[in-house]
Amino acid sequence: MKPMWTLADHRVFAGGAGTEGALLFGAEQASLYAIDAATGDFLDRWGRHGAFALAEVAPADHEIAAALADAQVLVPSARARRAPRPTIDPATVPLATLVLEAAQACNLRCTYCYAGGGTYGGAARVMSPELAARAARFLVEKSGDLPRVTLVLFGGEPLLNLPALAAAVAAGEAAAAEHGKTLVVSLTTNGTRFTPAALDFLAAHRIGVSVSIDGPPDMHDANRPYGGRAGGGSYADVVAGVARLRERTGRAPAARVTLAPDQWARIPEVFEHVLGKGFLEVGIAPATPVAPALLPTPEQDAALLAGFAHVARRFVDEARRGRVLPFSNLLDLLAKLHVGQVRGVPCGAGLGYVAMDAQGALFLCHRFAGDDGFRIGDLATGIDHAKARACLAAQAAGRADACGTCWARSLCAGGCHHENHLRESVLGLAQGTCCDFIQRWIELGIRTYGELRADPGHPVLAFVGRRAEG
Amino acid sequence: MKKKRIDALNEKAKAIQRLADGEQPSAAALAERRMPQGCTTIFDTGWETNPRPTYPVGNCQASARDFHGCVGDCWWPAQMPDGLTNHREFDVQCPNVARDWRNLKYD
Repeated sequence: MKPMWTLADHRVFAGGAGTEGALLFGAEQASLYAIDAATGDFLDRWGRHGAFALAEVAPADHEIAAALADAQVLVPSARARRAPRPTIDPATVPLATLVLEAAQACNLRCTYCYAGGGTYGGAARVMSPELAARAARFLVEKSGDLPRVTLVLFGGEPLLNLPALAAAVAAGEAAAAEHGKTLVVSLTTNGTRFTPAALDFLAAHRIGVSVSIDGPPDMHDANRPYGGRAGGGSYADVVAGVARLRERTGRAPAARVTLAPDQWARIPEVFEHVLGKGFLEVGIAPATPVAPALLPTPEQDAALLAGFAHVARRFVDEARRGRVLPFSNLLDLLAKLHVGQVRGVPCGAGLGYVAMDAQGALFLCHRFAGDDGFRIGDLATGIDHAKARACLAAQAAGRADACGTCWARSLCAGGCHHENHLRESVLGLAQGTCCDFIQRWIELGIRTYGELRADPGHPVLAFVGRRAEG
Repeated sequence: MKKKRIDALNEKAKAIQRLADGEQPSAAALAERRMPQGCTTIFDTGWETNPRPTYPVGNCQASARDFHGCVGDCWWPAQMPDGLTNHREFDVQCPNVARDWRNLKYD
Protein backbone atom coordinates (compact mmCIF):
# COMPACT_ATOMS: atom_id res chain seq x y z
CA MET A 1 0.00 0.00 0.00
CA LYS A 2 1.24 3.47 -0.81
CA PRO A 3 2.06 5.59 2.19
CA MET A 4 -0.67 8.18 2.66
CA TRP A 5 -0.13 11.72 3.86
CA THR A 6 -2.41 14.18 5.61
CA LEU A 7 -2.22 17.87 6.41
CA ALA A 8 -2.04 18.22 10.18
CA ASP A 9 -4.42 20.67 11.84
CA HIS A 10 -3.35 24.17 10.85
CA ARG A 11 -4.62 27.67 10.13
CA VAL A 12 -3.47 30.10 7.47
CA PHE A 13 -3.75 33.78 8.29
CA ALA A 14 -3.27 36.59 5.83
CA GLY A 15 -0.07 38.48 6.68
CA GLY A 16 -0.37 41.90 8.21
CA ALA A 17 -0.15 45.11 6.25
CA GLY A 18 3.11 45.42 4.35
CA THR A 19 4.02 41.72 4.56
CA GLU A 20 4.10 39.34 1.62
CA GLY A 21 2.50 35.93 1.68
CA ALA A 22 0.67 34.54 4.66
CA LEU A 23 1.23 33.05 8.09
CA LEU A 24 0.90 29.34 8.75
CA PHE A 25 0.11 28.23 12.31
CA GLY A 26 0.57 24.56 13.18
CA ALA A 27 -2.18 23.92 15.72
CA GLU A 28 -0.70 20.90 17.45
CA GLN A 29 2.73 22.36 18.12
CA ALA A 30 2.02 26.10 18.09
CA SER A 31 4.60 26.48 15.32
CA LEU A 32 4.45 29.60 13.21
CA TYR A 33 5.77 30.00 9.66
CA ALA A 34 5.72 32.61 6.94
CA ILE A 35 4.65 30.99 3.66
CA ASP A 36 4.60 32.13 0.05
CA ALA A 37 1.49 32.24 -2.13
CA ALA A 38 2.18 28.87 -3.81
CA THR A 39 2.39 27.14 -0.44
CA GLY A 40 -0.87 28.83 0.60
CA ASP A 41 -2.51 27.47 -2.57
CA PHE A 42 -1.16 24.00 -1.85
CA LEU A 43 -2.57 24.03 1.69
CA ASP A 44 -5.90 25.27 0.41
CA ARG A 45 -6.07 22.61 -2.31
CA TRP A 46 -4.92 19.58 -0.33
CA GLY A 47 -6.54 20.63 2.90
CA ARG A 48 -9.87 19.56 1.42
CA HIS A 49 -8.63 16.08 0.52
CA GLY A 50 -8.12 14.19 3.71
CA ALA A 51 -5.43 11.57 3.09
CA PHE A 52 -3.56 11.50 -0.21
CA ALA A 53 -0.54 9.76 -1.75
CA LEU A 54 2.46 11.86 -2.75
CA ALA A 55 2.13 10.38 -6.26
CA GLU A 56 -1.07 12.42 -6.61
CA VAL A 57 0.84 15.66 -6.04
CA ALA A 58 2.06 17.37 -9.22
CA PRO A 59 5.90 17.20 -9.54
CA ALA A 60 6.03 21.00 -9.49
CA ASP A 61 4.57 20.92 -5.98
CA HIS A 62 6.98 18.33 -4.56
CA GLU A 63 9.24 21.04 -3.22
CA ILE A 64 6.32 22.52 -1.27
CA ALA A 65 5.27 19.09 0.01
CA ALA A 66 8.83 18.43 1.21
CA ALA A 67 9.00 21.78 2.97
CA LEU A 68 5.64 21.18 4.66
CA ALA A 69 6.78 17.71 5.72
CA ASP A 70 9.92 19.26 7.23
CA ALA A 71 7.65 21.70 9.07
CA GLN A 72 5.59 18.74 10.31
CA VAL A 73 2.46 20.24 8.82
CA LEU A 74 2.30 17.48 6.20
CA VAL A 75 2.50 14.21 8.11
CA PRO A 76 2.10 10.49 7.39
CA SER A 77 -1.60 9.72 7.87
CA ALA A 78 -0.77 7.11 10.48
CA ARG A 79 0.70 9.89 12.63
CA ALA A 80 -2.01 12.46 11.96
CA ARG A 81 -4.24 11.15 14.70
CA ARG A 82 -3.59 13.29 17.74
CA ALA A 83 -2.70 11.57 20.93
CA PRO A 84 -4.63 13.11 23.82
CA ARG A 85 -2.37 15.26 25.95
CA PRO A 86 -1.45 13.46 29.14
CA THR A 87 -3.05 14.89 32.24
CA ILE A 88 -0.67 16.31 34.79
CA ASP A 89 -0.83 14.86 38.29
CA PRO A 90 -0.92 17.72 40.84
CA ALA A 91 1.04 15.55 43.27
CA THR A 92 4.06 15.64 40.96
CA VAL A 93 4.23 19.43 40.64
CA PRO A 94 6.21 21.38 43.25
CA LEU A 95 4.64 24.47 44.74
CA ALA A 96 5.85 27.54 42.87
CA THR A 97 3.40 30.30 43.76
CA LEU A 98 1.32 30.90 46.87
CA VAL A 99 -1.30 33.63 46.93
CA LEU A 100 -2.14 34.95 50.38
CA GLU A 101 -5.60 36.43 50.86
CA ALA A 102 -4.05 38.42 53.65
CA ALA A 103 -7.07 40.62 54.24
CA GLN A 104 -10.51 39.41 53.26
CA ALA A 105 -11.74 42.94 53.58
CA CYS A 106 -11.63 46.00 51.37
CA ASN A 107 -12.18 49.73 51.67
CA LEU A 108 -13.54 49.91 48.13
CA ARG A 109 -16.76 48.50 46.70
CA CYS A 110 -15.91 47.87 43.05
CA THR A 111 -18.97 47.19 40.93
CA TYR A 112 -17.58 44.05 39.30
CA CYS A 113 -15.86 42.48 42.32
CA TYR A 114 -15.80 38.69 42.16
CA ALA A 115 -14.87 38.51 45.84
CA GLY A 116 -18.06 40.02 47.23
CA GLY A 117 -16.48 43.28 48.35
CA GLY A 118 -13.20 41.56 49.19
CA THR A 119 -14.48 39.09 51.78
CA TYR A 120 -15.12 36.16 49.40
CA GLY A 121 -18.36 35.69 51.34
CA GLY A 122 -18.95 36.03 55.05
CA ALA A 123 -17.69 38.71 57.38
CA ALA A 124 -14.55 40.74 56.81
CA ARG A 125 -11.51 39.09 58.40
CA VAL A 126 -7.75 39.29 58.29
CA MET A 127 -4.95 36.75 58.38
CA SER A 128 -2.90 36.52 61.56
CA PRO A 129 0.83 37.30 61.21
CA GLU A 130 1.67 33.82 62.58
CA LEU A 131 -0.42 32.11 59.91
CA ALA A 132 1.06 34.33 57.20
CA ALA A 133 4.58 33.44 58.30
CA ARG A 134 3.79 29.72 58.36
CA ALA A 135 2.30 29.97 54.87
CA ALA A 136 5.44 31.60 53.48
CA ARG A 137 7.61 28.83 54.99
CA PHE A 138 5.19 26.24 53.57
CA LEU A 139 5.71 27.73 50.10
CA VAL A 140 9.50 27.45 50.32
CA GLU A 141 9.47 23.98 51.88
CA LYS A 142 7.02 22.52 49.33
CA SER A 143 8.84 23.95 46.30
CA GLY A 144 10.97 20.86 45.60
CA ASP A 145 14.06 21.77 43.61
CA LEU A 146 12.68 24.99 42.15
CA PRO A 147 15.29 27.74 42.48
CA ARG A 148 12.65 30.48 42.65
CA VAL A 149 9.28 30.78 44.37
CA THR A 150 6.68 33.54 44.22
CA LEU A 151 4.65 34.87 47.10
CA VAL A 152 1.66 36.96 46.07
CA LEU A 153 0.22 39.37 48.63
CA PHE A 154 -3.43 39.61 47.77
CA GLY A 155 -6.83 40.34 49.26
CA GLY A 156 -9.34 41.96 49.54
CA GLU A 157 -7.00 44.85 49.99
CA PRO A 158 -3.76 43.39 51.36
CA LEU A 159 -2.41 46.71 52.65
CA LEU A 160 -5.21 46.70 55.23
CA ASN A 161 -3.16 44.00 56.98
CA LEU A 162 0.44 45.19 56.86
CA PRO A 163 1.51 43.14 59.92
CA ALA A 164 0.65 39.85 58.17
CA LEU A 165 2.39 40.94 54.96
CA ALA A 166 5.53 41.88 56.89
CA ALA A 167 5.49 38.58 58.78
CA ALA A 168 5.04 36.55 55.59
CA VAL A 169 7.84 38.30 53.72
CA ALA A 170 10.26 38.07 56.67
CA ALA A 171 9.57 34.36 57.15
CA GLY A 172 9.67 33.68 53.40
CA GLU A 173 12.99 35.46 52.99
CA ALA A 174 14.50 33.57 55.92
CA ALA A 175 13.28 30.20 54.61
CA ALA A 176 14.44 31.00 51.08
CA ALA A 177 17.91 31.93 52.34
CA GLU A 178 18.06 28.73 54.36
CA HIS A 179 17.16 26.61 51.31
CA GLY A 180 19.26 28.60 48.84
CA LYS A 181 16.26 29.81 46.87
CA THR A 182 15.09 33.17 45.59
CA LEU A 183 11.82 34.57 46.89
CA VAL A 184 9.91 36.86 44.54
CA VAL A 185 7.18 38.91 46.19
CA SER A 186 4.39 40.75 44.42
CA LEU A 187 1.43 42.71 45.69
CA THR A 188 -1.88 43.61 44.09
CA THR A 189 -3.50 46.65 45.64
CA ASN A 190 -6.23 49.18 45.03
CA GLY A 191 -3.64 51.93 45.50
CA THR A 192 -5.46 53.83 48.24
CA ARG A 193 -3.34 52.61 51.18
CA PHE A 194 0.22 53.69 50.38
CA THR A 195 0.88 54.90 53.91
CA PRO A 196 4.45 55.78 54.92
CA ALA A 197 4.74 52.41 56.69
CA ALA A 198 3.44 50.56 53.65
CA LEU A 199 5.87 52.42 51.37
CA ASP A 200 8.79 51.64 53.68
CA PHE A 201 7.86 47.97 53.59
CA LEU A 202 7.49 47.86 49.79
CA ALA A 203 10.78 49.68 49.27
CA ALA A 204 12.73 47.53 51.74
CA HIS A 205 11.78 44.24 50.10
CA ARG A 206 11.71 45.27 46.42
CA ILE A 207 8.14 44.09 46.06
CA GLY A 208 6.59 44.20 42.58
CA VAL A 209 3.38 46.18 42.80
CA SER A 210 0.25 46.05 40.63
CA VAL A 211 -2.29 48.82 41.11
CA SER A 212 -5.89 48.61 39.94
CA ILE A 213 -6.91 51.67 37.97
CA ASP A 214 -9.76 51.76 35.47
CA GLY A 215 -9.01 54.76 33.29
CA PRO A 216 -9.98 58.43 33.40
CA PRO A 217 -11.74 59.71 36.56
CA ASP A 218 -15.30 59.21 35.28
CA MET A 219 -14.72 55.53 34.49
CA HIS A 220 -12.51 54.71 37.45
CA ASP A 221 -14.81 56.37 39.96
CA ALA A 222 -17.87 54.67 38.47
CA ASN A 223 -16.17 51.27 38.86
CA ARG A 224 -14.17 51.74 42.04
CA PRO A 225 -15.99 53.80 44.71
CA TYR A 226 -15.15 53.77 48.42
CA GLY A 227 -17.37 51.69 50.66
CA GLY A 228 -19.09 52.94 53.76
CA ARG A 229 -21.10 56.06 54.23
CA ALA A 230 -18.50 58.38 52.71
CA GLY A 231 -18.55 56.64 49.32
CA GLY A 232 -17.10 58.65 46.46
CA GLY A 233 -14.57 57.77 43.80
CA SER A 234 -11.01 56.62 44.55
CA TYR A 235 -9.30 57.99 41.40
CA ALA A 236 -7.58 61.01 42.94
CA ASP A 237 -6.20 58.98 45.86
CA VAL A 238 -4.91 56.23 43.58
CA VAL A 239 -3.08 58.64 41.25
CA ALA A 240 -1.54 60.46 44.22
CA GLY A 241 -0.61 57.15 45.83
CA VAL A 242 1.12 55.89 42.70
CA ALA A 243 3.18 59.09 42.57
CA ARG A 244 4.28 58.55 46.18
CA LEU A 245 5.08 54.91 45.49
CA ARG A 246 7.29 55.81 42.53
CA GLU A 247 9.08 58.47 44.51
CA ARG A 248 9.70 56.25 47.53
CA THR A 249 10.64 52.97 45.79
CA GLY A 250 12.07 54.32 42.56
CA ARG A 251 10.02 51.75 40.68
CA ALA A 252 6.84 52.19 38.67
CA PRO A 253 3.97 49.80 39.39
CA ALA A 254 2.03 47.83 36.77
CA ALA A 255 -1.54 48.92 36.09
CA ARG A 256 -4.38 46.45 36.16
CA VAL A 257 -7.46 47.80 34.39
CA THR A 258 -10.85 46.11 34.68
CA LEU A 259 -13.67 47.28 32.45
CA ALA A 260 -17.36 46.47 32.27
CA PRO A 261 -18.79 45.63 28.82
CA ASP A 262 -20.35 49.09 28.35
CA GLN A 263 -16.84 50.57 28.77
CA TRP A 264 -15.07 48.40 26.20
CA ALA A 265 -15.60 50.88 23.38
CA ARG A 266 -13.24 53.27 25.23
CA ILE A 267 -10.26 50.89 25.53
CA PRO A 268 -7.80 52.97 23.43
CA GLU A 269 -8.57 56.07 25.50
CA VAL A 270 -8.24 54.14 28.77
CA PHE A 271 -4.92 52.66 27.73
CA GLU A 272 -3.40 56.01 26.81
CA HIS A 273 -4.71 57.66 29.94
CA VAL A 274 -3.36 55.04 32.32
CA LEU A 275 0.00 54.83 30.53
CA GLY A 276 0.29 58.59 30.95
CA LYS A 277 0.04 58.21 34.73
CA GLY A 278 3.49 56.66 34.93
CA PHE A 279 2.86 52.92 35.04
CA LEU A 280 5.44 50.37 33.96
CA GLU A 281 2.87 48.35 32.02
CA VAL A 282 -0.86 48.40 31.44
CA GLY A 283 -2.97 45.24 31.36
CA ILE A 284 -6.67 45.38 30.57
CA ALA A 285 -9.11 42.72 31.74
CA PRO A 286 -12.75 42.46 30.77
CA ALA A 287 -14.75 42.21 34.00
CA THR A 288 -15.63 38.66 34.95
CA PRO A 289 -19.40 38.12 34.63
CA VAL A 290 -20.18 37.76 38.32
CA ALA A 291 -23.74 38.77 37.46
CA PRO A 292 -25.75 38.43 34.25
CA ALA A 293 -25.57 42.23 33.82
CA LEU A 294 -21.81 41.87 33.16
CA LEU A 295 -22.34 39.43 30.26
CA PRO A 296 -21.47 41.26 27.05
CA THR A 297 -23.59 41.52 23.94
CA PRO A 298 -21.98 40.44 20.65
CA GLU A 299 -21.52 44.14 19.82
CA GLN A 300 -19.67 44.69 23.09
CA ASP A 301 -17.48 41.65 22.42
CA ALA A 302 -16.64 43.16 19.03
CA ALA A 303 -15.79 46.47 20.69
CA LEU A 304 -13.44 44.69 23.12
CA LEU A 305 -11.56 43.07 20.28
CA ALA A 306 -11.53 46.29 18.25
CA GLY A 307 -10.11 48.10 21.27
CA PHE A 308 -7.35 45.53 21.73
CA ALA A 309 -6.66 45.61 17.97
CA HIS A 310 -6.30 49.38 18.15
CA VAL A 311 -3.71 49.14 20.93
CA ALA A 312 -1.96 46.30 19.05
CA ARG A 313 -1.72 48.61 16.02
CA ARG A 314 -0.11 51.22 18.26
CA PHE A 315 2.25 48.52 19.53
CA VAL A 316 3.45 47.77 15.99
CA ASP A 317 3.85 51.48 15.20
CA GLU A 318 5.95 51.96 18.33
CA ALA A 319 7.96 48.84 17.53
CA ARG A 320 8.87 50.33 14.15
CA ARG A 321 10.55 53.11 16.09
CA GLY A 322 12.32 50.55 18.25
CA ARG A 323 10.14 51.13 21.30
CA VAL A 324 8.09 48.68 23.34
CA LEU A 325 4.54 49.82 24.04
CA PRO A 326 3.91 48.25 27.47
CA PHE A 327 0.55 46.60 26.79
CA SER A 328 0.73 43.58 29.12
CA ASN A 329 -1.98 41.52 27.41
CA LEU A 330 -0.20 41.65 24.07
CA LEU A 331 3.30 41.22 25.50
CA ASP A 332 2.21 38.05 27.31
CA LEU A 333 0.54 36.66 24.20
CA LEU A 334 3.54 37.50 22.00
CA ALA A 335 5.85 35.80 24.50
CA LYS A 336 3.77 32.60 24.31
CA LEU A 337 3.70 32.76 20.53
CA HIS A 338 7.44 33.45 20.37
CA VAL A 339 8.20 30.26 22.24
CA GLY A 340 5.40 28.24 20.63
CA GLN A 341 4.31 27.16 24.06
CA VAL A 342 2.06 24.10 24.10
CA ARG A 343 -0.10 23.84 27.18
CA GLY A 344 -1.91 20.80 28.45
CA VAL A 345 -3.72 22.91 31.02
CA PRO A 346 -4.90 26.52 30.78
CA CYS A 347 -3.09 27.77 33.89
CA GLY A 348 -1.16 26.66 36.91
CA ALA A 349 -4.14 26.57 39.28
CA GLY A 350 -3.72 23.58 41.57
CA LEU A 351 -0.52 22.72 39.68
CA GLY A 352 2.13 24.64 41.54
CA TYR A 353 -0.17 27.63 42.00
CA VAL A 354 -2.32 27.66 45.15
CA ALA A 355 -4.16 30.33 47.15
CA MET A 356 -4.64 30.45 50.92
CA ASP A 357 -7.45 32.33 52.64
CA ALA A 358 -7.27 34.25 55.93
CA GLN A 359 -7.99 31.10 57.97
CA GLY A 360 -5.40 28.89 56.26
CA ALA A 361 -7.66 26.99 53.86
CA LEU A 362 -6.09 26.28 50.45
CA PHE A 363 -7.92 26.80 47.18
CA LEU A 364 -7.36 25.96 43.52
CA CYS A 365 -6.63 29.62 42.82
CA HIS A 366 -7.17 33.01 44.46
CA ARG A 367 -10.49 33.52 42.72
CA PHE A 368 -12.00 30.39 44.24
CA ALA A 369 -11.27 31.36 47.85
CA GLY A 370 -14.32 30.72 50.00
CA ASP A 371 -15.84 28.19 47.58
CA ASP A 372 -15.70 24.77 49.27
CA GLY A 373 -16.08 23.04 45.92
CA PHE A 374 -12.58 24.26 45.07
CA ARG A 375 -10.98 23.90 48.49
CA ILE A 376 -7.86 21.73 48.20
CA GLY A 377 -6.71 21.20 51.75
CA ASP A 378 -5.34 23.59 54.36
CA LEU A 379 -2.03 24.73 55.74
CA ALA A 380 -2.06 22.26 58.63
CA THR A 381 -2.59 19.12 56.51
CA GLY A 382 -1.07 20.34 53.26
CA ILE A 383 -2.38 20.29 49.70
CA ASP A 384 -5.08 17.69 49.04
CA HIS A 385 -3.80 16.48 45.68
CA ALA A 386 -6.71 14.11 45.13
CA LYS A 387 -9.16 16.98 45.51
CA ALA A 388 -7.07 19.21 43.21
CA ARG A 389 -7.06 16.39 40.65
CA ALA A 390 -10.84 16.06 40.93
CA CYS A 391 -11.38 19.83 40.58
CA LEU A 392 -9.20 20.01 37.48
CA ALA A 393 -10.87 16.94 35.95
CA ALA A 394 -14.31 18.48 36.56
CA GLN A 395 -13.19 21.71 34.90
CA ALA A 396 -11.85 19.83 31.87
CA ALA A 397 -14.90 17.53 31.61
CA GLY A 398 -16.95 17.95 28.46
CA ARG A 399 -14.36 20.19 26.87
CA ALA A 400 -12.22 17.50 25.22
CA ASP A 401 -14.17 17.36 21.94
CA ALA A 402 -14.46 21.10 21.37
CA CYS A 403 -10.87 21.77 22.45
CA GLY A 404 -9.57 18.77 20.50
CA THR A 405 -10.67 20.30 17.20
CA CYS A 406 -9.91 23.94 18.05
CA TRP A 407 -6.88 25.42 16.31
CA ALA A 408 -6.10 27.57 19.37
CA ARG A 409 -5.94 24.64 21.80
CA SER A 410 -2.16 24.63 22.24
CA LEU A 411 -2.13 28.19 23.53
CA CYS A 412 -5.48 28.30 25.34
CA ALA A 413 -6.09 24.78 26.66
CA GLY A 414 -9.59 25.57 27.85
CA GLY A 415 -9.55 29.07 29.31
CA CYS A 416 -9.88 30.39 32.85
CA HIS A 417 -11.37 27.88 35.32
CA HIS A 418 -13.10 30.61 37.32
CA GLU A 419 -14.55 32.33 34.28
CA ASN A 420 -15.81 28.97 32.96
CA HIS A 421 -17.22 28.05 36.36
CA LEU A 422 -19.13 31.31 36.64
CA ARG A 423 -20.51 31.17 33.13
CA GLU A 424 -21.42 27.52 33.12
CA SER A 425 -22.22 26.50 36.69
CA VAL A 426 -23.50 29.81 38.08
CA LEU A 427 -25.04 31.58 35.09
CA GLY A 428 -26.03 28.34 33.32
CA LEU A 429 -24.49 29.20 29.94
CA ALA A 430 -23.32 26.54 27.50
CA GLN A 431 -19.61 25.70 27.38
CA GLY A 432 -17.47 27.74 25.05
CA THR A 433 -18.99 31.21 25.33
CA CYS A 434 -15.48 32.71 25.58
CA CYS A 435 -14.01 30.70 22.71
CA ASP A 436 -14.79 33.08 19.89
CA PHE A 437 -13.10 35.97 21.67
CA ILE A 438 -10.07 33.89 22.65
CA GLN A 439 -9.59 32.64 19.10
CA ARG A 440 -9.83 36.15 17.65
CA TRP A 441 -7.43 37.50 20.26
CA ILE A 442 -4.85 34.80 19.54
CA GLU A 443 -5.26 35.43 15.81
CA LEU A 444 -4.59 39.11 16.45
CA GLY A 445 -1.44 38.12 18.34
CA ILE A 446 -0.29 35.87 15.48
CA ARG A 447 -0.74 38.67 12.94
CA THR A 448 1.10 41.12 15.17
CA TYR A 449 3.95 38.66 15.69
CA GLY A 450 4.10 38.12 11.93
CA GLU A 451 4.50 41.86 11.38
CA LEU A 452 7.32 42.07 13.91
CA ARG A 453 9.04 39.04 12.40
CA ALA A 454 9.20 40.76 9.03
CA ASP A 455 12.40 42.20 10.52
CA PRO A 456 14.10 39.23 12.25
CA GLY A 457 16.60 41.45 14.07
CA HIS A 458 13.87 43.54 15.64
CA PRO A 459 14.80 44.77 19.14
CA VAL A 460 11.19 44.40 20.30
CA LEU A 461 11.40 40.69 19.45
CA ALA A 462 14.43 40.39 21.68
CA PHE A 463 12.40 42.03 24.45
CA VAL A 464 9.55 39.56 23.89
CA GLY A 465 12.04 36.69 23.97
CA ARG A 466 13.40 37.82 27.33
CA ARG A 467 9.86 38.11 28.66
CA ALA A 468 9.18 34.54 27.53
CA GLU A 469 12.13 33.38 29.59
CA GLY A 470 10.57 35.03 32.64
CA MET B 1 19.40 33.22 -3.51
CA LYS B 2 16.05 31.59 -4.06
CA LYS B 3 13.47 32.68 -1.53
CA LYS B 4 12.37 29.92 0.80
CA ARG B 5 8.80 28.83 0.49
CA ILE B 6 8.40 28.34 4.21
CA ASP B 7 10.21 30.39 6.82
CA ALA B 8 10.19 29.36 10.46
CA LEU B 9 9.10 32.36 12.54
CA ASN B 10 8.79 31.37 16.18
CA GLU B 11 11.14 29.32 18.36
CA LYS B 12 9.01 26.16 18.06
CA ALA B 13 9.00 26.33 14.25
CA LYS B 14 12.79 26.83 14.27
CA ALA B 15 13.24 23.80 16.52
CA ILE B 16 11.15 21.69 14.14
CA GLN B 17 13.20 23.00 11.23
CA ARG B 18 16.47 22.11 12.96
CA LEU B 19 15.11 18.62 13.51
CA ALA B 20 14.31 18.33 9.83
CA ASP B 21 17.76 19.60 8.85
CA GLY B 22 19.34 17.03 11.14
CA GLU B 23 17.35 14.25 9.55
CA GLN B 24 18.37 15.08 6.03
CA PRO B 25 21.44 12.76 5.76
CA SER B 26 19.57 9.61 6.76
CA ALA B 27 16.71 10.47 4.43
CA ALA B 28 19.23 10.90 1.61
CA ALA B 29 20.79 7.47 2.31
CA LEU B 30 17.38 5.87 2.04
CA ALA B 31 16.75 7.51 -1.28
CA GLU B 32 19.73 5.78 -2.91
CA ARG B 33 18.20 2.79 -4.62
CA ARG B 34 21.31 0.65 -5.04
CA MET B 35 19.91 -2.25 -3.08
CA PRO B 36 16.46 -3.31 -1.95
CA GLN B 37 15.50 -1.69 1.27
CA GLY B 38 15.38 -4.04 4.20
CA CYS B 39 14.89 -7.74 4.23
CA THR B 40 11.68 -9.67 4.64
CA THR B 41 8.58 -8.19 6.16
CA ILE B 42 9.39 -10.05 9.33
CA PHE B 43 13.05 -9.28 9.67
CA ASP B 44 12.89 -5.80 8.20
CA THR B 45 15.26 -3.71 10.20
CA GLY B 46 15.03 -0.75 7.93
CA TRP B 47 18.29 0.09 6.28
CA GLU B 48 20.72 -1.73 8.53
CA THR B 49 21.43 -4.02 5.65
CA ASN B 50 24.35 -6.27 4.82
CA PRO B 51 27.02 -3.81 3.78
CA ARG B 52 29.09 -6.35 1.88
CA PRO B 53 28.68 -6.88 -1.85
CA THR B 54 28.05 -10.60 -1.32
CA TYR B 55 24.94 -12.66 -0.86
CA PRO B 56 22.45 -12.07 0.63
CA VAL B 57 22.69 -8.51 -0.71
CA GLY B 58 20.47 -6.14 1.19
CA ASN B 59 19.37 -8.51 3.89
CA CYS B 60 19.71 -7.38 7.45
CA GLN B 61 23.09 -8.05 8.98
CA ALA B 62 21.78 -10.69 11.34
CA SER B 63 20.28 -12.67 8.51
CA ALA B 64 23.39 -12.22 6.40
CA ARG B 65 25.53 -13.58 9.24
CA ASP B 66 23.24 -16.56 9.65
CA PHE B 67 23.36 -17.15 5.93
CA HIS B 68 27.11 -17.39 5.88
CA GLY B 69 27.12 -19.43 9.05
CA CYS B 70 24.70 -21.99 7.67
CA VAL B 71 25.17 -21.98 3.95
CA GLY B 72 27.47 -25.00 4.03
CA ASP B 73 24.64 -27.14 5.37
CA CYS B 74 22.24 -25.91 2.71
CA TRP B 75 19.80 -24.88 5.40
CA TRP B 76 17.91 -21.62 5.01
CA PRO B 77 17.89 -19.86 8.33
CA ALA B 78 15.32 -17.18 7.70
CA GLN B 79 12.42 -19.64 7.80
CA MET B 80 13.17 -20.39 11.41
CA PRO B 81 10.60 -18.57 13.57
CA ASP B 82 11.80 -17.33 16.87
CA GLY B 83 10.84 -15.21 19.81
CA LEU B 84 11.22 -12.01 17.85
CA THR B 85 8.34 -12.84 15.58
CA ASN B 86 4.69 -12.63 16.36
CA HIS B 87 4.63 -16.41 16.72
CA ARG B 88 5.82 -16.77 20.26
CA GLU B 89 4.25 -20.22 20.51
CA PHE B 90 5.11 -21.46 17.07
CA ASP B 91 5.99 -24.86 18.47
CA VAL B 92 2.32 -25.50 19.21
CA GLN B 93 1.31 -25.06 15.57
CA CYS B 94 4.55 -26.29 14.19
CA PRO B 95 6.18 -28.93 16.39
CA ASN B 96 8.35 -30.13 13.52
CA VAL B 97 9.60 -27.31 11.29
CA ALA B 98 10.54 -29.53 8.39
CA ARG B 99 7.09 -31.14 8.35
CA ASP B 100 4.70 -28.49 9.69
CA TRP B 101 6.10 -25.18 8.37
CA ARG B 102 3.03 -24.64 6.21
CA ASN B 103 0.96 -24.19 9.36
CA LEU B 104 2.75 -20.98 10.21
CA LYS B 105 0.52 -18.05 9.31
CA TYR B 106 2.47 -14.82 9.36
CA ASP B 107 0.44 -11.67 9.63
